[in-house]
Amino acid sequence: MNYETVIGIEIHCELKTATKMFSPAPVTFAKRPNSCVNEIDLAHPGTLPSLNKNAVKQAIKACAVLNLEIDPLVRFDRKNYYYPDLAKGYQITQQFHPIGKDGHVSIPTSTGEKIVRINRLHMEEDTAKQFHYNTETWIDYNRAGTPLVEIVSEPDMRNAEEAVAYVEKLRSILYYLGVSDVKMEEGSLRCDINISLRPVGSEAYGVKTEIKNLNSLNNIKVAIEAEIKRQSELLDKGEAVEQATRRYDDVAKTTILMRKKEGSVDYKYFPEPNIPPIRLSKEWVDEIIATLPELPEARKERYLSIGLSEYDATVLTQNKDLSDFYDEILKHTDQTKIAANWCISELPAVLDTQHLASAKNKLTPKNLADMINGIKTGTISSKQAKDVLPHLIQGENFEDVVNRLGLKQVSDTGELLRVIVDTLDEQAQSVVDFHNGKDRALGFLVGQVMKKTKGQANPALTSSLITEELMKRKP
Amino acid sequence: MNRYEPEYFKTLAKQLRFSLSDEEARAIADEFGVLLDQMDLLDKIDTEGVEEMVYPIEAETSFMREDEVGHTFTVEQALFNAPRQANDHFVTVKVVG
Amino acid sequence: MMNFTQYKAKNNPVEAVNLAVEAAMKANTKLNAVVTMVDPGEQLNRLDQYAGGKMFGIPIALKDNVNTSGVLTTAGSRILGNYVPQYDATIAEKLREAGAIVIAKSSLDEFGMGGSNLSAATGPVYNPYDLSRMSGGSSGGSAVLVASGVVPFAIGSDTGDSVRKPASYNGIVGYKPTYGRISRYGIIPYASSLDHVAFFTRNITDAAIALEVLSGRDDRDMTSLQLPVEDYASLLNPSLEGKKIGILTNVLKAITNPEIQAHFANLVARLKEQGATIVDIEMNQDLLSAILPTYYIIANAEATANHSNLDGLRFGVQKDGKEIDEVMSASRTAGFGKQIRKRFVIGSYALFVENQDKLFRKAQKVRRLIVEDLKHALSDIDGLIAPASAGVAPKLTDTSMDQLSSTYLIAENYMVMGNFSGYPSVTLPMGYCDGLPVGVNLTCKLYDEQTTLNLALAIEQATGLADQIKEVA
Repeated sequence: MNYETVIGIEIHCELKTATKMFSPAPVTFAKRPNSCVNEIDLAHPGTLPSLNKNAVKQAIKACAVLNLEIDPLVRFDRKNYYYPDLAKGYQITQQFHPIGKDGHVSIPTSTGEKIVRINRLHMEEDTAKQFHYNTETWIDYNRAGTPLVEIVSEPDMRNAEEAVAYVEKLRSILYYLGVSDVKMEEGSLRCDINISLRPVGSEAYGVKTEIKNLNSLNNIKVAIEAEIKRQSELLDKGEAVEQATRRYDDVAKTTILMRKKEGSVDYKYFPEPNIPPIRLSKEWVDEIIATLPELPEARKERYLSIGLSEYDATVLTQNKDLSDFYDEILKHTDQTKIAANWCISELPAVLDTQHLASAKNKLTPKNLADMINGIKTGTISSKQAKDVLPHLIQGENFEDVVNRLGLKQVSDTGELLRVIVDTLDEQAQSVVDFHNGKDRALGFLVGQVMKKTKGQANPALTSSLITEELMKRKP
Repeated sequence: MNRYEPEYFKTLAKQLRFSLSDEEARAIADEFGVLLDQMDLLDKIDTEGVEEMVYPIEAETSFMREDEVGHTFTVEQALFNAPRQANDHFVTVKVVG
Repeated sequence: MMNFTQYKAKNNPVEAVNLAVEAAMKANTKLNAVVTMVDPGEQLNRLDQYAGGKMFGIPIALKDNVNTSGVLTTAGSRILGNYVPQYDATIAEKLREAGAIVIAKSSLDEFGMGGSNLSAATGPVYNPYDLSRMSGGSSGGSAVLVASGVVPFAIGSDTGDSVRKPASYNGIVGYKPTYGRISRYGIIPYASSLDHVAFFTRNITDAAIALEVLSGRDDRDMTSLQLPVEDYASLLNPSLEGKKIGILTNVLKAITNPEIQAHFANLVARLKEQGATIVDIEMNQDLLSAILPTYYIIANAEATANHSNLDGLRFGVQKDGKEIDEVMSASRTAGFGKQIRKRFVIGSYALFVENQDKLFRKAQKVRRLIVEDLKHALSDIDGLIAPASAGVAPKLTDTSMDQLSSTYLIAENYMVMGNFSGYPSVTLPMGYCDGLPVGVNLTCKLYDEQTTLNLALAIEQATGLADQIKEVA
């Protein structure tokens, strides 16, 4: 039987704020356990939540770029359940009045662009981290209270390709906005895939399963394909799909049952009495929207408009840190295509272009720009540039490297002529060969001059000067 | 007038992560009738078109906290009251599911 | 010494505090009002820092639902029997900065959920006027410490009249300001949309001073008011010329005790003599009868959620279990008293998806109607008064009250309107019935603290009942 796959995706995204959603304790990573908490995060009796303005700002940015209608009155609700990673025994979330609703995003598919509708975006808080051992579970509340936005799509996707494209599109947009690190492998971007099958042509939805703990785009793809296979086989046999939460197993290459959904849990949602409704000022929201950073699509358009190829524009845009670096380079040189080439082809071979923005990177855009300009003006040759680059990566200035290595390309005509004259005097046979029509003689002579100048002679200039000189030595 | 069995209240209690003795469950079941009568008094009141009142004061607010690191516990303060701890973590029996 | 003025005039904090400590320990053998005695040594040592404070050198008690850093705070429950806070409630900080000295954490109904103080983990609190009677609750410990002469000021909390009712039973002032006037940060909650920090004094002037100390915006409590704190004490004006006071007739009609009726009539006559216009105000009887169930549904539902953090994992009593649910359950069963567990069961029942419309949301709608009716009642008057209770403090064994009678529903519970609406409301002494105190309650418009204090001062002058105490032998 032919089935249509119906996929909806819930994304949880950790926001990059300095402090937690409802407390002024810091949001930081990889620190000593329970060192980034206060009485609010530990839900000590008597504590009250205090809303993080910057978290709301990041949520507004995300709503704007995802075309969601922004609710100017911010309201929160309690989602009540007991679990050791949930200190209060309820999560403060936005069940009834999400800050954003009814949006959409366009994703690239093999059959063209497709619109995926987004049902809602709301703010909530993250839970603590549990570590399960043999007989004990250890809990670190550092993560508890970290601001999250949850983005829920409509079930508009129909295959793994579309699902991956949607996640990638969101990931890229959120990264460009600067609201999150969106690292799936670190947990700052988490995806839950809801997937069901139905007979082609049917309007009713089939029973859906939820797949969690997917920490890479590839895992999303293979998990969906495995689940489609699993559900199809069940339905073909006339068996029913059970509503459940599953996880993808790398080794077994299939989805494994985590827990069944017995009816649905009643979270007893009710409005959070400790946070009164907050009216967002129109001026503030408008300002946030007016000052949004450049997004991937706009950046790609910009690159195309300055003459980069479709390929170059796409590759650069896919790596925001690299294209930020590229943009900085362009402040110091007008060699757009050469600079792009260096960024796309040369740099990735010698350093990690994912971390150009980190303090560990010592290569500055200015130095790379200086080098590119140096090639253009003939100060060094492009061959020499490959030797210069490692030193720039160590943090040295372009000028310093060139001087230190004595690499300044010889473009002084007088100086070159002296060397050329010497060479021609020494290579009498080549002069004869040249006049006898042997083209290779010129190349050989250029090579000799390059040798004498330790590779620093300007090749083009050398070639034309030698030619002139040879013409003077007609037998 | 609905009356629920003591078992029903024991189940409710379980969902709230505590238990009731047989006696306690029976007492609640008995009292529940009185409570439901009191709740019937609410039914007498016409609330058609009336919005729920969540907050005693309904003036809109605008305050939101600036995103600056403030009061944070030391690890010692965080763990001070912990019934069980190890290596700076809170410890409990292994959690499954 | 009876009031703030006398304490400050004497100006000997060390002596005053030590006397208070002695008195507390002595009285406690009869009253059982104290959960934890607080050693005042450190506070006295740093007292100089707070010279000039409005409550400088005054010994006080705090209800044991107020977080005090380094000092055991139990909320009257076994589950917090070993909880030592690592932070101070905002009001604890404010009182310290005003120069007040905490000598005791006082007993309360478990988590503030009760009107008798019988559910405290440390046992019942007794009424200094008659030790066979209850203090009332939930702020019973604080009430009797003030009423028995131990301290001139104590903090309580008022969610469903838990300061204003015991004030009536103990012959003292119980003041509940507008919701959000005093920060709730660090107060162990009962029901967040109904909880008010409130307090006991022996006279209205002290209440005005205390209100200045305690009030103010606290960004840690998003529901706290942005309004400036006025000079309530220096602006006190008891003149009744041109003032219009309403009598809540529904309550009067529900009270059958003739002595109380007589005291009230006397008071009204004197207020008239002083120039007040007195009018009868009748509110909707069905709405008033609905106050109690509305309160139970909302309060118990919010309370159940509020105490979901008490799981035994990060603080508080922990019992063993083979699985996490068992650990949580064993801890909570051992830690929560019977009454609390009952209330949680009822509270959560109202929050189930299938019940919310009929119960929780219905109650929230009725709340609005009650508040609108109260607003309407107050629209043309400056304040609304009625006896604060239908009788004197009940005997400890008294369970005779019919839970559906209008006496019970209306006369004993109408003050909860002050919690629904957030309007400022105060109970102060009205008279004695066979030597036992009864109070009068005054409720005024939202934010109108000054009028509340002014009219209360006028009432105090009319009754002449300021600074009343009953020392226990």
